[in-house]
Amino acid sequence: MPDWREIVSKGLSGLKLGADEKEEVHAELAEHLEETYEALLREGMSESAAIRRTLSLAEDWNDLRRKIHWARKGKETMTDRMKQLWLPGILAFALSTGMLVLIQTYGPKLWVASWMGVLPFGKLYIPWLLLLPIVGAMGAYFSRRGVGSRRLMLSSAVFPVLPFLASILLVPVSLMFGDFIGQNVGLMSLVMALLGWVVVPGAALLAGALPVLFFFSRQKDPQQTAF
Amino acid sequence: MIGPGIKRGTAELAILSVLEEGPLHGYEMARRIEKQTKGALRFTLAALYPMLYRMEQRGWIRGAWETSQSGRRKRCYRLTPAGRKKLSPLRKEWEELFGALKRLTKVAHA
Repeated sequence: MPDWREIVSKGLSGLKLGADEKEEVHAELAEHLEETYEALLREGMSESAAIRRTLSLAEDWNDLRRKIHWARKGKETMTDRMKQLWLPGILAFALSTGMLVLIQTYGPKLWVASWMGVLPFGKLYIPWLLLLPIVGAMGAYFSRRGVGSRRLMLSSAVFPVLPFLASILLVPVSLMFGDFIGQNVGLMSLVMALLGWVVVPGAALLAGALPVLFFFSRQKDPQQTAF
Repeated sequence: MIGPGIKRGTAELAILSVLEEGPLHGYEMARRIEKQTKGALRFTLAALYPMLYRMEQRGWIRGAWETSQSGRRKRCYRLTPAGRKKLSPLRKEWEELFGALKRLTKVAHA
């Protein structure tokens, strides 16, 4: 009987995995070949024909080695979630932040609306808000291109306000544990911050995302398409 | 005979479906799929194992070495709760696709 372990080791030589992991793969594949070979013999096949037929399961060793390497290292392609949420969301966030920085630096100061006088929390950057629907539409569109569901399209669109939401929510939490964050942060300031950095920009992002969602909802939902 | 593109697409469903019946090792899985599909789905090593490893990384299945009654060590795969959860929508998706294709071919022949 052929030494299937040796055949597999030779066929997969150069497989870039850790010693233990490689040993496991070799043992598993050799076991598969051995069982196939024994089953073919039991069916009455000649030894040489059974060996040929068993070896045909491996087809191309180089292809097999490459595929196993990708699968074990998780390097095949981007995951669905990456294409449908993280990538479009981060892209939208980068774009919206970049635009905000540009507007804060070079934008028309007169277009800045402010609540609560000197407090910086309640500011509305009107030019930024006017541009956000485009960002929201882009986030939703790229999520859709990654075959994202409606929920993921909306999440990608509003992604740029999520870091703001997280940082605003951290303020009351940090006040509970220490006093190193501004003592003058009051409830009204937090509400204003939520409005100015989360609710209003979020609505602007959604305003851009909803037409995209509506446009694609007239087509078949990607979750229902198997291709 | 089903073409290679469709085979690749259905392979995940095939693996999850046979594992729903109970834990299996690679060879037995391939054999059972081949038998139950009357030879329409046949797995080479390059098709089966990379897919099993990927599915394991996604948390749909879990593999563990076990010793059989004959003393042979085999890596048995089991469906995880995440895999079980994945199976139902996947099955529905493929049923819808094949239903749609069936309706389409009926219309074409009418």
